[in-house]
Formats: sequence, structure tokens, C-alpha cells
Amino acid sequence: MSRTIRALTALCGTAALFAVAACGTESDVPESAGGSAQPDEGTECAGADGEYLIGMSQANVAEPYRQQMDDDIEAAAAEVDQFEVVFADAAQDNAKQVADVENFLTQGIDLLIISPNEAAPLTAVVERAYNEGIPVIVLDRKIEGDSYTQFIGADNTEIGRAAGEYVATELLPDGGSVVELKGLPGSTPAQERADGFRAGIAANPNIEIIAEGVGDWLREKGQSQFEAILQAQQAIDVVYAHNDPMAEGAYLAAQAASRQSEMSFIGIDALPIPSGGIKAVEEGRLSATFVYPTGGKEAIATAEEILVQCAEVDKEQILETELITVENAAEIYARNATQ
Amino acid sequence: MTAPPLLAMRGIVKHFGGVHALRGVDLTVGAGEVHALLGENGAGKSTLMNILSGVVRPDGGGIELAGEPVALGSPAEAQAAGVAMIHQELDLVPQATVTENLFLGREPRTRLRTLDRAAMRRHARELLDDIGVELAPSRRLSSLRVGEQQMVAIAKALSLDARILVMDEPTSALSDSEVERLFAIIPGLRRRGVGVVFISHRMDEIAVVADRGTVLRDGRNAGSFVVAETPPAEIIRMMVGQPIEQLFPDREPPAERVRLRVRDLTVADGSDLGGRSEPRGVDLDVREGEVLGLAGLLGAGRTELLDALFGLAGHRLSGTVELDGEPVRLSDPRDAIAAGIGYVPEDRRASGLVMMESVAANIVLAALPALARAGWRRAAREREAVASSIRDLHIKTASAESAVGTLSGGNQQKVVFARHLLRQPRLLLLDDPTRGVDIGAKSEIYRLLAGLATSGLAVVVASSELPELLGICDRIAVLRGGRIVTVLDGRDATQEAILAAASIEQNSNPSRMEAG
Amino acid sequence: MTVDTTDPVEKPVEQSRRRRFVIPERFFTFQSYVALILVFLAAIIFSPRRNGEIVFLNSENLLNIVRAVSEIGILAIGMTFVILIAGIDLSVGAILGLAATGTASLLMVNDFGVAMTVLIILAIGMAFGATQGYLSARLGIQAFIVTLAGLQVARGLARIWSGGQGIALAYGDGPDVAPQAFSLLNSRTFNGTVPIPALIFAGVGVIALIVVRKTVFARHVYAIGGNERAARLSGIPVTRIKVTVFAISGLLAALAGIIHAGQLNQGSPNDGMGYELDAIAAVVIGGTSLMGGVGTVSGTLAGALLLGILNNILALNNIDSNVQLLIKGVIIVAAAGIQAFRSQQK
Repeated sequence: MSRTIRALTALCGTAALFAVAACGTESDVPESAGGSAQPDEGTECAGADGEYLIGMSQANVAEPYRQQMDDDIEAAAAEVDQFEVVFADAAQDNAKQVADVENFLTQGIDLLIISPNEAAPLTAVVERAYNEGIPVIVLDRKIEGDSYTQFIGADNTEIGRAAGEYVATELLPDGGSVVELKGLPGSTPAQERADGFRAGIAANPNIEIIAEGVGDWLREKGQSQFEAILQAQQAIDVVYAHNDPMAEGAYLAAQAASRQSEMSFIGIDALPIPSGGIKAVEEGRLSATFVYPTGGKEAIATAEEILVQCAEVDKEQILETELITVENAAEIYARNATQ
Repeated sequence: MTAPPLLAMRGIVKHFGGVHALRGVDLTVGAGEVHALLGENGAGKSTLMNILSGVVRPDGGGIELAGEPVALGSPAEAQAAGVAMIHQELDLVPQATVTENLFLGREPRTRLRTLDRAAMRRHARELLDDIGVELAPSRRLSSLRVGEQQMVAIAKALSLDARILVMDEPTSALSDSEVERLFAIIPGLRRRGVGVVFISHRMDEIAVVADRGTVLRDGRNAGSFVVAETPPAEIIRMMVGQPIEQLFPDREPPAERVRLRVRDLTVADGSDLGGRSEPRGVDLDVREGEVLGLAGLLGAGRTELLDALFGLAGHRLSGTVELDGEPVRLSDPRDAIAAGIGYVPEDRRASGLVMMESVAANIVLAALPALARAGWRRAAREREAVASSIRDLHIKTASAESAVGTLSGGNQQKVVFARHLLRQPRLLLLDDPTRGVDIGAKSEIYRLLAGLATSGLAVVVASSELPELLGICDRIAVLRGGRIVTVLDGRDATQEAILAAASIEQNSNPSRMEAG
Repeated sequence: MTVDTTDPVEKPVEQSRRRRFVIPERFFTFQSYVALILVFLAAIIFSPRRNGEIVFLNSENLLNIVRAVSEIGILAIGMTFVILIAGIDLSVGAILGLAATGTASLLMVNDFGVAMTVLIILAIGMAFGATQGYLSARLGIQAFIVTLAGLQVARGLARIWSGGQGIALAYGDGPDVAPQAFSLLNSRTFNGTVPIPALIFAGVGVIALIVVRKTVFARHVYAIGGNERAARLSGIPVTRIKVTVFAISGLLAALAGIIHAGQLNQGSPNDGMGYELDAIAAVVIGGTSLMGGVGTVSGTLAGALLLGILNNILALNNIDSNVQLLIKGVIIVAAAGIQAFRSQQK
């Protein structure tokens, strides 16, 4: 008897969601018909008089770089009176990020900023937003197709080349031995930072990459890999790591072997946080690092152009890197830090 | 002026929700006295003892220990006041050794605050020797039989310097020789001035061990008695409210046709035997309508023989088993059930019932596929089967959907019976079917057995209660070390003859009285 | 005969209850539905409003919720059976990943048809689950250990199958693309309103409810979870039932994996990471005891929907994702706490 009731209740629970949804659907028909016409209405720009809700869908704030991206967006948006930004974190889960974007659409956002966890799984939902007439700014990682308003990102090959040229002209003008610590194999940034670096040092034929280690982007992995390389290599002039944490790990390994003064360490990312690369340069552990910009500030600037100034924007915005050395570290830190 | 009694509980009242469990009960126990506490299940014995041991707080009444009023607000307070309980379900850790269990929570330490294992072993040995238990203290508890575990629990309680020792059916799992060993320590307790509250359903034990007794019925005092002056029939009358004329019903003699024929049944030893005996070269014939008893000391192999006949020995089994002349393969309980064998196991909580499920679900459990069509249940047929089982076996339950755990022990046992009877077995195996069952339900189970046998069922029943075997069996097979040492005719067998055959040493045993 | 009259009505068994207040048993039976309704009402109250409309009750939003919990819900239904026999299946998230990867690979690399792909993947999931069940039931290895190992194996197989990378789905006719029919999983039916995954979830739920109510198998599952020895002594084929239960869990995990690939246009070996824990959470919130023998599929459905509504309303209010984790944890502990309280009361 009670089992019947229980089963019915559960069915009703599920059915209720469907039913309530179905009822709503009928009354919604005219509205959703209006919604499909929105791409046209989207061109009606309310400009500076409007109030705008911006949704920022982040792939994974557990990575400091992505937390920084959110912080940059928050700081930049605080300067724009008309903007309110809401954040969602997918914690590296594609399905969660799809649901996050859906929830944004339910909330009625006016503009979507997304840094996708992966391209293919998120393309469909981003397309849906775009087709509903919502401007979409894609940050750092692309999606498939062209259903977005602007892509903002840095060129990892260019950053690698800048690092290579810095080594070739500033650190080792007379040539020398370089050890490379790579990011996660198979990841695009790792490949591009490696390729760019080789192009950058090509100008100086006396520079040789004598060893490569795989640090998977991780500080501890960079440390253990470089420990092994230190055993094998007697003469090392420069350590080039694909990111700052691995460069720091290598420094720790060299320090343990009391060889840190024999060589220079350079990294990439230059996050303006206490544990980031800029501080490491300022405090003398790294010789240089290259800014991998988050694009957060630029995303809000683009949003302002689209929503407030009612302007057209370019499909792509490639961000420049910046060399951080001990001379400018403190200044850049103060400029880039959000807190 | 006489000294106040060691324990005086006066006017104890307790209700759970709307149910009055106790309506003003008195109980006094003197120093050095063994006091029997009797009553049917539900009469209030357990609640009264839970109040004494601090588990339950009374709603009214008072408790005095040696004339001093005490409030026993928690088990710890009761223990500190000198009350020790030996429960039906043992408060021991099965994975730990005997020694570890004896000293759980009060382990002796060395000067370095580490465990003093040598002292533990020594004291454990002494404690066990005190009560005459021959057990290696290093054995793991889970390798012991229920009876042996109980001995450990008793040893532990005695070691706590208890002034009042409550034994809740302590002998229900003990073999006769162990019961004797337990009773042998009682004079020692008396000398120390310990008061013992002894709960039992067994009249014979009470006659042997107790000085006085109190009978509870429906949460009230139904009477108290001095054992030496009161015939058992009078005590039973106090418990049930009216006399039981005949505990064991009369029965037709069995037919000639042999239902079960066992030849040279042997089970290879398993990995963890723990002092038990597997069947060795057992030959056995049971006729249609016959009730065959299995007697023997604890560990003699009664349960193991029944297990083997139900397919629980798996591939370790050898020898031949025939039912109605047909050989049967018994490598799994499923084989046994398919062949028409039913089994009511020893421990209905552990092996018989699914406690959280309803009475109905438990009754139909073995018959589900038979009642269903191609795996789909047919609710109407199930309901019918359950209703007729409840009716035929007089199972007292509020409804078929009540949780089986809410029934009394006797009715729970009848549920297990009903489950196997639904399959219409040809042979029914019973292991201590009346353990922990009150006298009224016992009588019903005997009547039920008699009826089943009369209808042609062959029954094999193992029991540690000799009067029960003598009362219900046509023949009694006595086991020792896994072998059948003799088969006695139920009509002229005596307890002495059975015990003589069961024990290697031919000890003369104080006669234990038959109930009813 | 004379004895019968002494005790005409069964008296309640004496119990030791130390607590003063007693929660009616009825509450526990409906615990998960009560909780579901409370969360639903709370969601309405706390929902943001736009133009007077309660955003939470927006039909699209409600259907999004069912869609979002469909994979976890399907996993949780299989998990319910496993937990009912006092087991646990930690491998379902990994099997989901393996199935998603396999689906994408068969469709894109092997150019298999949709029906063929689905059949193969479901068979793989079922075989994987059955193997775990056999190891656990026959060799007596704890389900926790077997499925912990199974989790690693399934992830490993998925990585090997795809070479460690996610395989993106592209649709069309011809080689190296997936049949258009498969994109149905990412679409909506009934005039584009009801997401297909939500429908599949509802369908699996209804089938499971019927199985629990109507089959001998389900009774055997409950009996094994309640008292395995009693079940065995009643002639229940314990090993076969256990293997079947794990096979069902594997099968449903594979089904969820196929849906996952369809919804995300990709199969990746890392898909479904940690989903097993969400599935277990849904089962526990649904009132099923990890000790086995007690619980319902309907409760699990309520638990899954509850989690979905909770995620949704927190997101709609832009509650920080870290706080969302905290709230989920509190709810799971509360559900388990209520159960513990219930068994104490007994």
C-alpha cells in the first residue's frame, strides 16, 4: 500500500517537473517566438542608458591563471557603472559548463564571456546563446565554428619566440646551453611555446638545447625533472620553463645542489599574485618571465564597446606579451595586480 | 532487624508511547541469592532489566541497592554501582581475541604505557580457569561457537566485580556440559554475596539453580515463589495465567516407508573449524511421518550435519543422500530446496529472517519464483499464500505488512517455518527450533510439528534441550565428534542415557527436570 | 490450544529508547519526497524574478534541470540496486567515460552506425559490470575494492582507445563523420521543448520502478541486502543476483556515457570524473541505506532531482561555486543523519 504511494510520489515528482514545464511551455510559445527574433532586436542598442548583466563562465578557477582572469574581469567591470557580472565555475567539467551557460541564459544575461574547458563540448551551447542574439566573447581557448562575437587570446608561439629572442640576444649573446622544461605533452600551449622558442633562438647558432624535461605544468614535477637533469649535465646556462611554477621548481632543485648561481631561469605567465612569476623575478629567483595576459580587462573593454558604445568589434584580438625583468617587475606587479 | 536486601526495585512503571510495559513491578534479590525472573515474551522482563542496567529510565518507582536509593541514569552508572549484564546478544568484538575482549577498554599497561600483553594473557587465563572454561585465550572470538562466546561474556562480567549479575537466558546457547560448568560457578558467587537475576524459559534449569523466583505477566507481578516448595506446573500457571495440560502432544507412529536415506555422509574439514566437528561417516534413515532428534554436546556436529543435508557444505560433501529412493545432489541450498528439503536454522536473526522486511516478504521469500510467472510477481497469489500461512500457523502479527522484527520470538520462528512449508517440503530440518521462545509458543511449535509429521513430513530436529527431544521425537540419534554413536528409541530413552552416549567420560549427571 | 488465549494481540517489542522525542516512522518513509518538495518550494521563494516571472519556474529552466541530472540520475538508479545489496560501485563514472570515448570512436573512427554503436557500447558496459560483480560475489573481494580497481581499468581502457585525447563528434553523411541521427541526443522533442536525455532518464526511471514493484529479482535484491545468509538459505541464487545487479549498473553507466557523448559532441577519457560520488549522494539522499536491504528507486529519483534543483537555484542566484559544494555536503550529511537517527530509534 505505502509502496504504491511512494512510487506514485516519485513519479509525480518527475512528472511534476515535466508537467510544470509543459504548462509553462504553452504560455511561453509567443514569448519564445519573440525570442527567436532577437538577433534583429539585438541591433537595437540601449547604449549608455542601459543596465547590463554579463555572465562569465570559467572552465576551472582552481588554476591560478583562471582565477586571475576572473579577478581581472571583476576589477575592470567595477569601473563600468552599467555592468554587473555574474561568475560560474565549471571545475573542469564540460557538462557543468554547459549547464552554467544554460543557467546564464535562463537568468537573461546581456553578454556572455566564456573561457571554455574544451572546444567541441561547448560549441553547441555557445552557438545557442549567440543565435539568441547574445554577444559572446571567447577567452583564451577557442570554440569550433564562428558563432561568437570576439575571440581574445594570446599567441603562445609569439610568447615562445619572445623568450627565445631574449635568450639569444640578452642572456647568451655568445651562445650556450639551454635546458627546456615542457608543459603537459599534447597540450597546444606546450607545443606552441616549444616551437616559438626554437624559432626565437634560431638567430644565434651557438645556442644549443642540451636537455628537455616534461614537467606537466607542475612545480613539483619541474623540480624532480630538473634534479635528474642536473645530475646528467655539467654545464647549464639557461633554464627555459614553459611556465613559472616549473621554473621555480627547477630553481629549487638547483638551489638544493648549490648550483643556482651558475644559471639563469626564465618562465612564462607572470601572474601578479604573491606566488606568481613577477614576484619571483622581483626577488631574484627568475631572471625573466613573459606575461601571458588573461584578457580579462580586454574582455570588459570589448563588452563596453558592444553594449555601451554600440560599436562593431573585430572577430579576433590577439594580446601582446610583455617581458618582465628585475627592472620593471615591481612596477608591472603594481599595475597588473587587482587587489 | 534484618539487613536490607541487596537489590530492591519497587513499584517500577515504564511506558513507551501509549504502551504500558511495566505497571508497578516489585523485585527483591538478597545477597547470595539466585533469583529467577520469569514471564512470557512481552511480559516486561527485558524492560525491567534494562532499567536495572541503566539503559532505560523508569517513569516511576524506586531502586535501592543494599538499602541505599540509587539513580541508575546510564549503563556506566549502573556498572559503577555493581550491576553487570550478560545479554542475549553479546557485547563482544568478534574480530578480537578472547583476551582482548576480556580487557576491552581496561587493558593493563606497562610502565611505559604500552599494552602489557603478558599480564593480559596471564589474567585472561586466570579468569577463564576461575569458571572452568577450557579455551585458548588467543583464539579469535569469531572462531568460537555461540556457547563458547557466551562463556567469555560471563567471564568478563564476573571479572568486573559485580554485586548483581543479570543473566538474560545465559544457557540458551550452551550445551549441557557447559550449562553444568556455568552452574558449577554459582556456589562461588553465592559465597561472595553476589545476587544473581536469572532469566530463563527452562523450568529444569530454574529448579536446579534458583532459590526464589518472580513471575511477570503483562507488566505486573503475577506471583513469586520459593523454588524448593513450588511445582513447575504451578510456575507455568503463573506465567500463562492458566495451566498447560500437555506440552508435548500425542502423535501417530510413523509410516514404514523411508523418506531420507543417508549413507556414509562425510564433510571434509573447512579452513576454520573452531572446535566444531563436521559429519563423519553418518548413516541415517528417516521415515515418512517420523520426527528424528539429533542430540549431542555443543560442537558434536548437530548443526553441521543439518547444514550438510541442506547443501551448505558444498563440494566438501561426500557420501550418498536419497529422498524417497532418488539420489539427490546437495552442493547448494538451491539443490536442497529443489529436492524438497526445508531448513529452519539455529539463529533466526542471523540466518533466518530479513529483519527490516515485512512478515509477508519473509514468508514468501523462498517461494517467490514458484508464485511468480516468468519472474513477474503475482500479487494476488502472494497475498493468498501469506494469508493462509498466517492463519494455519497462528502467526500473531498486527498485519502481514508489519516488520518481522516487531514479532515475538515464537512468532518470528513460525514465520521461518511458514517460508519453508510454502514450498511443501518432503523433509524438514530444524536446528534448535524453540531457542529463546517462551513456553506458550513452544507448545504451539510442538503441536505444529506433530501435525506436520502426521501429514507425512519427515522431520530432523537438533536440540540442546533434552526434555524437548524426549517429548517430541520418535527416535534420537546421539552425535559425538561428527559421528552418530547411537540411536535411541524416543519412548524409552532417558536424559541419562543420552548424556552417557554424548559424553566421552561417563559422568553422572544431576537429573534435570522436565517442564510440564 | 489453552496457551493461545494469553496473548491475543501482539505486543510491541520492548525497546530501549533513551530519547524523549520520537519522529513518526511515516516521516522517514517520505523523507526524500518531503525534502524534494521543500527544496522545490525554497527554489520558488528564492528564485530571481524577471518581469514578474519566477525565473526558476520557467519551463525551459525546469527542463534544463531534468536534462542536467539525467546522466547522474541514470547512474544513481543502477547504484541504488548495488547499494541495496550492500555493495558500492565506484566505477560508474569511469565506465561513463569509457562509453563516451568508445561511442565517439566507433562513430567517427570506425564509421559504425548508431544502432550498432549503441549496442556494442551497452554490451561493453554490461560485461564490465558483470565482471566486477562476479569478482566481488564469487571471490568475495569487497565491492569497494573491485570497483575501485574497475575505475582505474575503465579510465585506462578509455585512454588507450582514444590515445588519451577527446574525440570530437562531427555530423554528416560519409566517412569520418557521425550519422546525423546521433545528434538527436543533443536535441529536444515535442516542438523542441523536452530534451531527449531527460526523456531517456524518465523512461529508465519508470522501468526501474516497475522492476522494483513487480519482479522476483527485486525481492531477491532486497533479501540479499537485508540478510545474505537468510537469502542463501531460502534458495536465492545469491551470486547470480549480485552479478546481475553489477551488470545493470554497468549497463546504465554505459547508457549515460552514450548520452554524455551525444550531449557534449565529444567523447573524452576524462568524462564523468567524480560522477560516481554524485550518484551515491543521490541514492543516500533518497533514503537508501549503505548497509543494504533498505531503500527505494523512487527515493533515488527524488534525490537526483533534489540535487539538480539545488544546483540550479544556487547557480541562478550566482552563489559562489565553492559555497555550492558546502551546501551539497551539508544536505548529504543531513540525509545520512536522519537515517542514522531512524536506525537508532528502531
